[in-house]
This record gives sequence, C-alpha cells and structure tokens, in this order.
Amino acid sequence: MGAFLYGVSLQWKLDIRSKTLLITCYIVPLLFFAIMGGIFTSVMPGARYTLIQSMTVFGVTMGALIGLPPTIVEIYSSDIKKVYRANGVPLYLGLALTNISAYIHLFIMSMILYIAAPLAFQAELPQNPLVYFITLAIFIAVSLGAASIIGLAVKDPAKTSMFSIIIFIPSTMLSGIMFPTELLPKAFKTAGKLFPASWGYQQMTARVLTFENLLPLLLIFVLALVLCSILLRRIDR
Amino acid sequence: MKEAIKINNLTKSYGSHVVLNGLDFCVQQGEIFALLGINGAGKTTSLECIEGLRKYDSGSIAINGRMGIQLQSASLPQHIRALEAVKLFAKWNKTALDQTMLDALGIYELAKKQYYQLSTGQKRRLHLALALTRDPDILFLDEPTAGLDVEGQLSLHAQIRRLKAIGKTIILASHDMTEVESLCDRIAILSGGKIAFIGTVKQLGETIGKHYTITIQTENGTDTYEAENIGDTLLSLLMQYQEKGATITDIQIDRGSLEQHFIKIAKWA
Repeated sequence: MGAFLYGVSLQWKLDIRSKTLLITCYIVPLLFFAIMGGIFTSVMPGARYTLIQSMTVFGVTMGALIGLPPTIVEIYSSDIKKVYRANGVPLYLGLALTNISAYIHLFIMSMILYIAAPLAFQAELPQNPLVYFITLAIFIAVSLGAASIIGLAVKDPAKTSMFSIIIFIPSTMLSGIMFPTELLPKAFKTAGKLFPASWGYQQMTARVLTFENLLPLLLIFVLALVLCSILLRRIDR
Repeated sequence: MKEAIKINNLTKSYGSHVVLNGLDFCVQQGEIFALLGINGAGKTTSLECIEGLRKYDSGSIAINGRMGIQLQSASLPQHIRALEAVKLFAKWNKTALDQTMLDALGIYELAKKQYYQLSTGQKRRLHLALALTRDPDILFLDEPTAGLDVEGQLSLHAQIRRLKAIGKTIILASHDMTEVESLCDRIAILSGGKIAFIGTVKQLGETIGKHYTITIQTENGTDTYEAENIGDTLLSLLMQYQEKGATITDIQIDRGSLEQHFIKIAKWA
C-alpha cells in the first residue's frame, strides 16, 4: 500500500511538472469559466442557476479527454512499459496512478469552480450539494474511464489528440452546457446521449439521484473498465 | 559451481522466421557471461525469453535466483527525477535502498535531475540502478555501454566488476568485443538461432586455430606476413632480412583479435 501511495503522490507531482495536465485541468477550464461565466450570466441571467454544473462538466470533460490520454500514451506506447515489466512493476500501475492523480486534479478544479462561481458571478449553489458531489465523483470517474480507452487504444500521440477532440467537441456542444438540449435538432439531441457529459450534466442539475441518469454513466464506466482491461492485456502480450 | 541459468532446447519463431532453433547453454553462478552474435542473430530475443518478457515456443528455462534487468532500449516518464524512480521501484519491490550502490553509480549526483535532462550515460547508470533495486542474484545487461563515451564505458565496466566481486551473476549482450574480452569469464556466440561457440576467449582462439600476422618495419618500409607457425616463420624471416642486410626497426605480432575470431565463427556456423 505504501508503494502505491508513493506512486500516486509521485504521479501527482509529475503531472504538475509536465504542464500538460496542469493546462488542461486548471488553466483552460478556469480561463473558460472566467470568460464564459461572465458572458453566460450577462446574456442569459438564468444561467447563474446552472453555471457551476456547466463549467464543471466542461472542465472535467476537457481535463479527462484532452489531458489524460497523452500521459497514458507516454507510458504504454514507449519503452517505459518494458522497464516497468522488467523491474517487477505491474503493467496496470501506470494506468491506475495516472487516473487517480488526474481524478484528484479534476476534483480540485471542480472545487475551485464551486467556490469561485458564486463569488465572481453570483452563481447559485446546487440545490442538493450531496447529490451534486456524488454525481461529480461518478462523472469524473466515467470521463477518465473514457479517456483511458483513447490513451490505451491509440498509440500515436497526434492521433490521440485527434480522437480526444472528436469526442470532446460533441460532448460539450450536445450535452446542454452551452445551450438547452431542447433547442437542438432531434438527431443531435439523440447523439448527445452517447456522451457521459450529457448524463453528468443532467444529473448534476437534478435535486435527487435518478436511476435514469445514473444507469448510462455506470454502463459507460463498466464498458470502459472492460475495454481497458482488454487493451492492457493486449499491450502485455 | 552451481548453475544460475540453464537453457534447454529453446525455440522461438516469428511467423515462418525461426529466431531460436534449439538453444542450449548454462550460466554458472558468479560469472560474467556474454551473448554475442551478429545483428539479427537472436541475442535480444534470447535474453527477453530468459527474462520472461517474451514468450517462447518450446524448450525450458531454469533460473536460480532473483533477476535484475537493464534493457537495451529503456525509458521513463520525462519528468521523473532519478532518485524518485529508484525509490518507486524499490518500494514496489519491497527492498531497501542500497546507499552504497547508489553512491557508486552516482545516482545522488543526479537526484534532482529530471529524466529528460539526463545524458545517455547518466540514463544508463540510472537504469542499472533500477535493475539493482531488486537486489538481484542475476543481472541482465543488454548493450550496457552502447552510446557511452570512453569515460562512461570505463565507469560502467568498473561497476560491472564490482558487482561480480560481490557475487552477482552477470549476463550481457554486447557488440563491443574489447568490452567482452576484458570483462567476461565466458562467451557464447549465437548463429542461426543456435550456439555456435561457448567457452572462454582463450578457448575461442584455440578452436579457430592460431593465426598470426607479422609486421616487420625496416628503414626501407613495412612488410606484412601471415603465418600459422610463428616460431619457424619468424626465424626464417629474420634470416632473410639479415641476408639482405636490412636493418629491422620494429616487429609486431598480431595473434588475432576476438573480433576476427568472432567473425570466423559467425560466418562458419
């Protein structure tokens, strides 16, 4: 357990040193919040009721999809994985450490938004903070799971960025965080349901936990776990 | 002396390409053993099969002891510091940090440097330190001095000798024949997926047969002669030069280097 915790703290430091995760988990989401928070609340005053949730979904989606895959690719598409195996370090460790570290970073970023939004833009806190935080915890895990699939499946860093953006853009545009999903064409509305961001946002803005919102998130998470373990085994061979 | 490694009839193919075709050899405990071969002879495949990093088709491998592995091409996360990497691997293997070993390898001097800031030689030293964190009985070194300058090579050779002195068994794959000649107790030459020769460097010379190159320098120039029987040939040459009245300024006798013997074996097999 000591080795694992040391690994987590080390990975956390590496993420800060590498700047990639620092930019995607903190700088870009918080900059986006600073600009869009002002625009949203002045153009649509009602946006202050969902500002924390929408900015959090954007930040988590960005941090996970854009920030995590390059770190995973660095480990599994290089000689690092051979060094791990040769020196008795299990192959899953890299994936576990990067995910846990990114989870902590994303949670901290979400907390900053939770505290800053009411102060900066008079945003309303979620009606049920418990439901909000439970959903946030699940949503971060699901987003990181989806990002891990990209990191393990795609070996070329350039292609990784391409796949990440292909998923990131519809995730943010069709999830309802930019504009109400009711205004979207039916096909786009249906397509939006494929992404965890839609379900995460829907559940974060709800007063109670609903099975209807949680089930898709859990299904995506289980699918991500299965795919990641298959991909890890393939890499191990 | 006990066997540290025993390889029996090992085979490995990639599709229709046979890389190892019934490999048999033993490595004794406490010796430095070199695996030689031309490019594509199967050195790295053999090592990776023994290390457990690659599956083999048939045969058996018996290992008597803990293994430490320094790979030919190795990497670490770009921003990890040298000492952090050593600590991570030591913690994961539940071993204490060997301060003496780290000091000898100069890891403390690199402690604050991130991986991407290290030179090739410093990276080699770090990867050797990582291989040693498990306190291995058997150490695998694949091209340990490739890309190092002379100082780096000498420093690493000193480390390898130190490890042998404390009882470690060392198996190395190398292209550097001078390194092999100066470090190794025994060598094995791989050719066609089999062992073409196994023994000491001296035995290799005896297997090939004695072949000498004699270079005689006089005031008029330099002449080179090939000889199987050194005594008779040299005597005859000296008499010839005396009869001609030539003044000999230098004589060199080359008994054949390990490179020459190695190429002969590799080509014969």
